[in-house]
Amino acid sequence: MDRTPWRPSLTVLVAAGLAVLVATMAVTVTVGPADIDVADVARSISGHLRIGGWFGQRAGGAGDDGVPRLVDAIVWELRLPRVLTAAAVGAGLALAGAVMQSLTRNSLADPYLLGLSSGASLGAVAVLVVGVGLLLPVAAFAGALLALVATLSLARTGGILTPGRAVLAGLAISQLCAAGTSFVIFWTATGDSYREILSWLMGSLAGATWSSVAISGVALLAVGAVLLAAAGRLDAFAFGDTSAAALGIDVERTRWTLLTLVALLTGAMVAVSGAIGFVGLVLPHAVSVVTGPGHRRLLPVAALCGAAFLVWADTLARTVFDPRELPVGIITALIGVPVFAVLLRRGRGAAWS
Amino acid sequence: MELTIAGVRTRLGGRWVIDGIDATPPTGHLTGLLGPNGAGKTTLLRLVAGLLVPEVGAVLVGSGGASPVPVHTLGRRARARRIALLEQESASTVPLTVREVVALGRIPYRTLWGADPGDGAVDRALAHARADHLADRPWSDLSGGERQRVHIARALAQEPELLLLDEPTNHLDVSAQLSLLAFVRDLAVTAVAALHDLNLAAAFCEHVLVLSDGRLAAAGHPRDVLSPDLIRRVYGVDCDVLTHPRTGRPVIAFAEPLATPARAGETG
Repeated sequence: MDRTPWRPSLTVLVAAGLAVLVATMAVTVTVGPADIDVADVARSISGHLRIGGWFGQRAGGAGDDGVPRLVDAIVWELRLPRVLTAAAVGAGLALAGAVMQSLTRNSLADPYLLGLSSGASLGAVAVLVVGVGLLLPVAAFAGALLALVATLSLARTGGILTPGRAVLAGLAISQLCAAGTSFVIFWTATGDSYREILSWLMGSLAGATWSSVAISGVALLAVGAVLLAAAGRLDAFAFGDTSAAALGIDVERTRWTLLTLVALLTGAMVAVSGAIGFVGLVLPHAVSVVTGPGHRRLLPVAALCGAAFLVWADTLARTVFDPRELPVGIITALIGVPVFAVLLRRGRGAAWS
Repeated sequence: MELTIAGVRTRLGGRWVIDGIDATPPTGHLTGLLGPNGAGKTTLLRLVAGLLVPEVGAVLVGSGGASPVPVHTLGRRARARRIALLEQESASTVPLTVREVVALGRIPYRTLWGADPGDGAVDRALAHARADHLADRPWSDLSGGERQRVHIARALAQEPELLLLDEPTNHLDVSAQLSLLAFVRDLAVTAVAALHDLNLAAAFCEHVLVLSDGRLAAAGHPRDVLSPDLIRRVYGVDCDVLTHPRTGRPVIAFAEPLATPARAGETG
């Protein structure tokens, strides 16, 4: 009883998470080489959304008065889409990771488990290097879906689909796609395309535009809503499939519907940002220290924390070695590995043995 | 809940694991499901739980005078509100507290938005199973006996009319075994428990079903069923059946096993 976990209410957690996320976005948009403050950001946004009256600006086009055109362009065309994309991708990856860990009953599961990131990489590299006539996000998404279909078909051959078989099949498809990617790079890449590929493979938000915001945002809202609605059912898997079935869950249908949704969500995120590691693996564990393992609490809080986390990580990635940019995957790994180590030391490893 | 197992046959991997069973466990009492490993006990429990659908025959459930219906035709949630199953090996890697484990039993009652209309059902179940002092402990820290007590509380949180237990006394010490079965016996809920220990079955069950190769070898009160002859036929062991000096129930005293290959070699 001395080990009673202290658990704040969900409302408090979500309110705190939202506050942190909004503050994070407001602050990080102002961070960068150009000297921009929060008021500039607000004016630029209200100008574009045509909600005049704030800060005494008349309704109409952006940058008419108050905000210099250059500042407006930096805020509206560069930093805002990037911060919003980072938030959506971070939230999506954390959600996807939490759901994946529950569905496969594997604490080490991450959103890329079923070969999605390698498939997306292969699609993206094919575009970057070979010049397949497709938009990069489309190619990456197609690659992710093909990898998913290959993984599930492989897992289904000669038996029923179990989480264990799906994980093994995912591993095989990942290796295959990785080999394909290496081959394409080895055979064709030169100079500049090399760096572009590398940054994509490590995960990067440098190319974020409003279409990235749209892709990741729509995927997050649509799939996220379904995942949150299914949160209670995920709890039933704690003691395995039979136990879940005895609690009235349609185990097969629930598992494969949710796996497919998670794959679509992950595919959309990979398409805009490349494969950003550790967010989906570590964040759910870190968040569950505070929320407890119940998914109705874990999922919304993990999404909010994932969003704030990736926004900060990306801000670091673009400012630490300014004017050079690091792939954000390097930052998430640098932060994620020590956090993982701390979680292991705190004895949560007992459940992972 | 009235339970009738009517001509049930089912195959797993091509073999008839349950090969024609008719039985009517008494309503409101504890029935022991006996038989050697591989006799079909777990499969029969799954069929009764509605988790498997028999190829032939049906498991019929009815209550309060309503006409019995095949269990697999009940809706999933409706079924989970009436039938609870305690599995044989029930472990979790999720770091849940005891209260959270018991709350899993409320999942069949939750609305779409996660609200539970049965206010306080988790606390009642914890208190009933005498597990309330464990409520805030991490489940992973509990002893085997405490874990099984918590699983009972989780099953009670489902407010079942039929309780199914698959070898619930495995790995428990003597005291935990006795108190668990006495508790289930006194619940006044129809209960079916797969048991390996014939003496426990003889001591606590009102009725026993003895399975052998997917068929029913005997059924009835332990006093009438557990004879040396039946035990030799089903388990291949010699024994004497005595009478318990205090309870009057049968006590089985086992002799040496019938010729196992190693023994045969030594003596032959």
